[in-house]
Amino acid sequence: MSPRIMVIDDEKIVGDMAKMSLEQEGYAVETFTSAEPALERLAQEKFDVVVTDLKMKGIDGMEVLRTVKRLYPETKVIMITAFANLDAAIEALRAEVHDFFPKPVKIKELKTSIQRALGK
Amino acid sequence: MKNLAVHLRSLFGLSGKPKEALPPDLLFARFKEVLDRNNRTLEIITDMGEKLGGDYLFDITYVKSAYSGLYSTVHDSLLSFDLLTRDRYPRLHQVFGDIDARIKRMIYDISATGGEMTVFYPAISWDMGGEVGGKSANLAEVGNYLKLGVPPAFAITTHAFDALMRQNGLDEKLKALNEGPLRGETLEELRTSILNAEFPPALHAAIESALHEITAVSGRNCFLSVRSSAEEEDSDFSFAGQFTTKLNIPAETEKIKEAYREVVASLFSPKAVAYQKGIGYPLGRLKMAAACMVMVDAKSSGVIYSSNPSGDRDTLLINAVWGLGESLVEGQIDADLFVVNKGAEPAIVDRRPAAKKSMITARKGGGVEAVDTPSAMEAEYSLTPEQVAELARQAMLIERHFRRPQDIEWAIDQKGTIFILQARPLRLPEEGERPSPLPDAESARTARDVSGPRIPLKGKSRVVQKGTGAGKVFLVRHPDQLDNFPKGAVLVAGHDSSDFIRVMPYVAAIITDVGTPTSHMASLCREFRVPTVVNAGDATRVLTHGQEITLHVDDEGGVALYDGIRKDLLEYADAASPKMEDIYEFRKKRYILRYISPLNLVDPLREDFTPEGCKTMHDIIRFIHEKAVAELVETSKYGGRVKGRAAVKLDIPLPTGIMVLDIGGGLSARGKHNKVAFDQIASLPLRALLKGMMHPGVWRSDAVSLKVNDFFTSMIRMSDIVAEGRDYTDYNLAVVSREYVNLSLRFGYHFSMLDCYCSENARNNHIYFRFVGGATDIVKRSRRISLIAAVLREYGFNLKTKGDLIVARLANLGQDRMEEVLDRLGRLIAYTRQLDAVLHDDSAVDRYTKAFLDGDYGP
Repeated sequence: MSPRIMVIDDEKIVGDMAKMSLEQEGYAVETFTSAEPALERLAQEKFDVVVTDLKMKGIDGMEVLRTVKRLYPETKVIMITAFANLDAAIEALRAEVHDFFPKPVKIKELKTSIQRALGK
Repeated sequence: MKNLAVHLRSLFGLSGKPKEALPPDLLFARFKEVLDRNNRTLEIITDMGEKLGGDYLFDITYVKSAYSGLYSTVHDSLLSFDLLTRDRYPRLHQVFGDIDARIKRMIYDISATGGEMTVFYPAISWDMGGEVGGKSANLAEVGNYLKLGVPPAFAITTHAFDALMRQNGLDEKLKALNEGPLRGETLEELRTSILNAEFPPALHAAIESALHEITAVSGRNCFLSVRSSAEEEDSDFSFAGQFTTKLNIPAETEKIKEAYREVVASLFSPKAVAYQKGIGYPLGRLKMAAACMVMVDAKSSGVIYSSNPSGDRDTLLINAVWGLGESLVEGQIDADLFVVNKGAEPAIVDRRPAAKKSMITARKGGGVEAVDTPSAMEAEYSLTPEQVAELARQAMLIERHFRRPQDIEWAIDQKGTIFILQARPLRLPEEGERPSPLPDAESARTARDVSGPRIPLKGKSRVVQKGTGAGKVFLVRHPDQLDNFPKGAVLVAGHDSSDFIRVMPYVAAIITDVGTPTSHMASLCREFRVPTVVNAGDATRVLTHGQEITLHVDDEGGVALYDGIRKDLLEYADAASPKMEDIYEFRKKRYILRYISPLNLVDPLREDFTPEGCKTMHDIIRFIHEKAVAELVETSKYGGRVKGRAAVKLDIPLPTGIMVLDIGGGLSARGKHNKVAFDQIASLPLRALLKGMMHPGVWRSDAVSLKVNDFFTSMIRMSDIVAEGRDYTDYNLAVVSREYVNLSLRFGYHFSMLDCYCSENARNNHIYFRFVGGATDIVKRSRRISLIAAVLREYGFNLKTKGDLIVARLANLGQDRMEEVLDRLGRLIAYTRQLDAVLHDDSAVDRYTKAFLDGDYGP
């Protein structure tokens, strides 16, 4: 079965582009523009990798990370953010984030990171 | 010759009286500021092109911050430029403001028009579909972006529609259409009201003024077609044939208004209403814009399906008839059919003639009529094979741009010019029903074979844009040749040039011998996604004109060049690239680049090289750069401020009498007695130039005997020239820095000026060279000009000559190549010093030109 990837970013364009490029690699991709419905979905089903924006209205990326880790400790989380600062990166890394990218993210690097997350 | 200064100034596009000039060092400091800021701007443009190119996930925060950086650098450059030119170009600020407003409008999602009633096609942008309707938005794109032929046209917008409805109290009636059952009489009343509608004064005035403008271009007696262009038309729903089209209407306000009323009324015709209901569109919501377009005096017309709906998808179909295509569009008469293979070189694979007994023509005075086809033409094909091929190329281009198969209407006028009249998505049977599916990404990936005979290239190729392109080689040695560039060919040239913008929409790939990935051209290639490799070394020698090749640049930047058209690689590239353009938000964000990166101001010698000609941020910095250089050139020419400053005498074994004024790093040391030897010159361009002038054998010291007549001419002419340059008649002057030289030279009887910036950064580099005068009669002087022109053209200069004046420009070469060209230029200056006296006939020009290029400098 194809690995399942979830992408959460409050800007639709990010999810759309990620979906298009990741599906090309054969992944099953679901996208969300806010964390609430994404977490509801996660409660139903496990994803192998969650790619999430850090700064979002409502529930932010750190909370997504904590929830994912609580539900599925083995699911890897990749954090992306337009507002890269050291503190955020350190906090994310402490909370066992798999990878941390400032936006714009090179799609190829994201793909490589996902491959690593999947143990390939 | 009386007013050499005015003459030169007009050639450089400088107008008005020169103001009090800045001293050279301050002038140059400003110039460097302009260069630095322009470079920063180009870096941001390049970065934006890369980040918005489909290889990165980006969000609006990036777009906003990148653009804000871009805005500041262009703004700062403009400020330095104002100081440099002392506010010579106030219009540039307004143009900058207009472009900025457009970009901000898109970034911040502000409505596209300010409620204009009419918009001319060149002003229509891709996101204006809501205002001008789908048909006009698509067609304007074909003209504005792909640069294909589209007749002069304007759109009557949906704002006009709203105003018309309001003026006649119909807006409330439209709203009521969906309430309760719809009666036939209601629609009939509505149509009648529209057909008799009174125009709001603003709409009447807008149409009148648009017609005034269009007749100024196409003639007072021109005729227009008025077509429907509803909001959603030609986008997701085609509405094909649902609305009225009025043909051959005189360009008179009342006639056009009448046609417009009919087009608007057709929104509520029984068949259009049935269609809207059929697709579940609420009635009364759709707004009607109209396209008013100059009629083409059509020799033949027709329709293209850019993908064959019923057969091989690698073919396209062209239907053609004599005269106007209206009846063909309606499917009424039999038409010639051409089935064309969509290869790099389109080939007719099947054709069927039709008995075209009648044809539609424009009636004198207005309207159209069916007439008998002249018997000789009945059975004859209405297109030549060349026209079929050209139509096929254009159709493939349109299909590639819109990323969907297209249904295209076209016409060819009596002179043979092709016009596109409409382009809309062609609906094809679903994928599953396709008879021969293209390989999907996975199978293409595994099936591709990147082996095969490769063409080796010597240079260390640098990738500008990845991708795969194939076609026939078209060798470009001089920009003029671009006029004949065939669509779909591979452009191969000695060095990169922003002149290539002229063919950018049609070029399959670009390969140059020398060049850098940061040039103006490179940013254009990325904008147009043209697979491009520069610095390939010897491409112009290895490849022959007309040879079929395939350039393949993979994701890792590996470059391979193959003999022949590699269809497998092309298909692989097509299947493997994600179709990011299919994502609406992506296209919308990327569209911002349209007002940032394309370069429209290519040729400074053209009349549209003005502030008004700037359409993008790139144009603005191009304009600034060019005019900043012109300002340097001009100011140094008028520079009386040299006196009293520390100019030193150049001490070389040639009697040049050159004084050198260093404004920053141009001299490494100063010799005794205020003299400077060749070794002490640190200025890169001056060194290279002097090296050429001192090249063994080029400095002809043998006195050339002048005839008496020549001598008199020279006396008179000298006084003119001396008067122009009164502050440095005693010496020739070089203003230098490490990267710069401005050299004014008077040798014997002619005056030449060279302005050059030569640095590691190719895009800063330029050479301006102008040459005027000579002692002999005008015929001999002109011969020398011919010789100089021939040599300069060989080195890739852009030229303008007039009598015995020549202005030559060259830009964006790498440092090595710059130094090489300067060396040759030095030789040329020395060589031609007195040559006019021996150019007794025209054949001597060719002889001496050849000798010079061959390195034979003997008498």
